[in-house]
Amino acid sequence: MELFLENILNLVGFVVGIIIGTISYIGFRNTGSPTLFRLTLAFYSIGIGFFIMWAGQTLDIFVYKTGHTERWVQTFGIAVQTVGYFFIAFSHTIKSFFPKSNYLRSIGIMPLFLISFISIENIIRSISFILLAYGAIETLLSYFASRRKTAILVACGLWALAIGEFLGWYYFVFPQSILNVVSIATKIAGLIMLFIPVTKVPLTKIKFDENI
Amino acid sequence: MKNRVRVSYTGMSSYRTHMQIIGDILLTTRDDTPDEQGASITYLIRKANISHGRISKILNNLVAQGLLEQSNSSGAFKYKISSVGREFLQAYNTFNKFADGYGLTI
Repeated sequence: MELFLENILNLVGFVVGIIIGTISYIGFRNTGSPTLFRLTLAFYSIGIGFFIMWAGQTLDIFVYKTGHTERWVQTFGIAVQTVGYFFIAFSHTIKSFFPKSNYLRSIGIMPLFLISFISIENIIRSISFILLAYGAIETLLSYFASRRKTAILVACGLWALAIGEFLGWYYFVFPQSILNVVSIATKIAGLIMLFIPVTKVPLTKIKFDENI
Repeated sequence: MKNRVRVSYTGMSSYRTHMQIIGDILLTTRDDTPDEQGASITYLIRKANISHGRISKILNNLVAQGLLEQSNSSGAFKYKISSVGREFLQAYNTFNKFADGYGLTI
């Protein structure tokens, strides 16, 4: 049952990611804006990441019937999603990611050695969390500058995705709990909030011009 | 037309991207030309608030892409927005709001 629910949620994530990515791509083709190109890469990556996880689960439900998805498929799907989160954070420019002080830099790389025995999936999830939290904070700051209401919803959406990643990481500690389902549900809620700016785009008024 | 230089909440004029400058130029040539023949470079420099060297390159590029129409009026070039430019400006405005919704600037 849990696998089936996860399967549906991953499919929703795929659809939402691809729709936002496509709108961004139309915007990029019409304006040539690099920001819209980065958003295209971000949301296509997020959508494809969900698709990989969905495909892995579907194969398991209907073909292999082991009751759990292959770990490498899960890890690969999350890694592709992380690429998407990177492009969202990158669009806000990662201007203060690395501390300037040499001392802080040396402290900063220490955790990389300390966590070297933890699975790759844990590391990817923690990177996703950092990128999403960064994106959420930057979007919130943009809201204070522009006062556009959709920006605050997007910030909430990014926070929801970050919390979803955190819960997904915590699921390793309590693997028998429902944390994984809660994690995916939170991420889907986040993606739906990210979808809100798309609903404001009057697509019928846009004439797609190949020459631009 | 309102002054198109964006002012941030700190009160200082903020950095405009290349896309925003193009948007400002196209908006001026669409909504705020002084006469039927279009806007002169001097007029656009004042409205778009950029240097002569930079605006010349941008205007040449926009004319080459068919977004602006250039005419020679009594020894001076004048610029008017084309139909393609109008479509571009509409798309620009739409996706500028879209990106703004994500807290980004196109």
